[in-house]
Amino acid sequence: MTPTSQHTIGPFFPRTFFQPGDNDLTRLAADAAPSTRGEAILLRGRVLRAGGVPCVNAVLEAWQADASGHFRHPLDPGAAEADPDFCGWGRAWTDAEGGYEFRTLSPGGYGDRAPHINLHLMGAGLMRMLRTTVFFPGVGADPVLDLVPPERRSHLIARPEGAGLFRFDLLLRGDAADETPFFED
Amino acid sequence: MILYPPWPAGVEPAVPIVSYPNTWTHTPSLAPIRRPLTLTEATGPLDLSRKLPCGEPNLAMPHPGRMAQGQLIHVAGRVLDEDARPVAGAIVELWQANAAGRYFHPIDQRDAPLDPNFIGNGRVRTDADGAYGFFTIRPGAYPVPVEDVWWRPPHVHFGVIGPASLTRLVTQMYFPGDPLNAYDRILQSVPDPAARDRLLAEALPPDQVGSGWLGYRFDIVLRGRRATPPA
Repeated sequence: MTPTSQHTIGPFFPRTFFQPGDNDLTRLAADAAPSTRGEAILLRGRVLRAGGVPCVNAVLEAWQADASGHFRHPLDPGAAEADPDFCGWGRAWTDAEGGYEFRTLSPGGYGDRAPHINLHLMGAGLMRMLRTTVFFPGVGADPVLDLVPPERRSHLIARPEGAGLFRFDLLLRGDAADETPFFED
Repeated sequence: MILYPPWPAGVEPAVPIVSYPNTWTHTPSLAPIRRPLTLTEATGPLDLSRKLPCGEPNLAMPHPGRMAQGQLIHVAGRVLDEDARPVAGAIVELWQANAAGRYFHPIDQRDAPLDPNFIGNGRVRTDADGAYGFFTIRPGAYPVPVEDVWWRPPHVHFGVIGPASLTRLVTQMYFPGDPLNAYDRILQSVPDPAARDRLLAEALPPDQVGSGWLGYRFDIVLRGRRATPPA
């Protein structure tokens, strides 16, 4: 069978689909205790479109390994060691300034992958969702980051802004030198 | 082992789209970089039941005895992979305009009535056969407020989460036979006519749907097939 075509999420993704804590990857639910098996971090940034204009009401979804580099998923041979309290998934929407934030634990690397967080970005005018990856300062070799032309790699590395705080801004469209690199799988 | 072949030609929308300004300002100018499949893309959240609680599949009666305005419909189908295997436990999110073509959303300030009995969104989980279903109303059409105005035909937004991060899908369902479909810049951005046809729900014969609701079937196919084709 052929996969169903993608479409834009449009401007009207329901606010009522969001609950407090949706952007907190450290909890299985808003009323669940956060996992403390790792270094708590806050990842925040802005989503900008052509002209540096804030992209409002866009939806971001994050997915990452736990602090030891495991996923609670049968494809991970180390799933049994995965943190049972860590959700690893979260969703946020951008405010009037295009801002978003995720609360999470610093991800662990695994195999040849450096520590990273995968982001999906959906929004009005995006007929196909955008997929990118957040890396952290000091990142070494990584088979995904290494595919990005060297001059664009810095756009994929979150900037430290203080203890436990990282900034990752996304520019959807602009000068080629400034656009955030996106991936297709 | 699950394989994720690239999207077949003509299935993905062609962008940017004339008279859809956001596609010109939001779409990256550089092509995406093809990346290899690693565990992060091949895995995904398998149990979001506490994070994204699933609710009542009847959007047309948010309060007992108080019905939404509009033509009552039942939209149901299955979530499948490219081998036609059911995807069980997937989260299906649906949102839509009311019968007057207005969304219950602070951004939609159009001069069309809100319906106090219709919020127009719901979330369910597929069963072991990959099946889902919603009771709702047929949404209205609405104009797109751009200089060269065009109209969105009645449509229902769908989002599916599961079973892998890579299979995350957002799409829209249309109603067969609606004259606005042929003019919809979003539907028509899908180049392959067969792919467009798969975005149209199938209207069920009236003798199959009883007296309460008109029935529509809409199957959703996610990416992914087995490395070894099924026998």
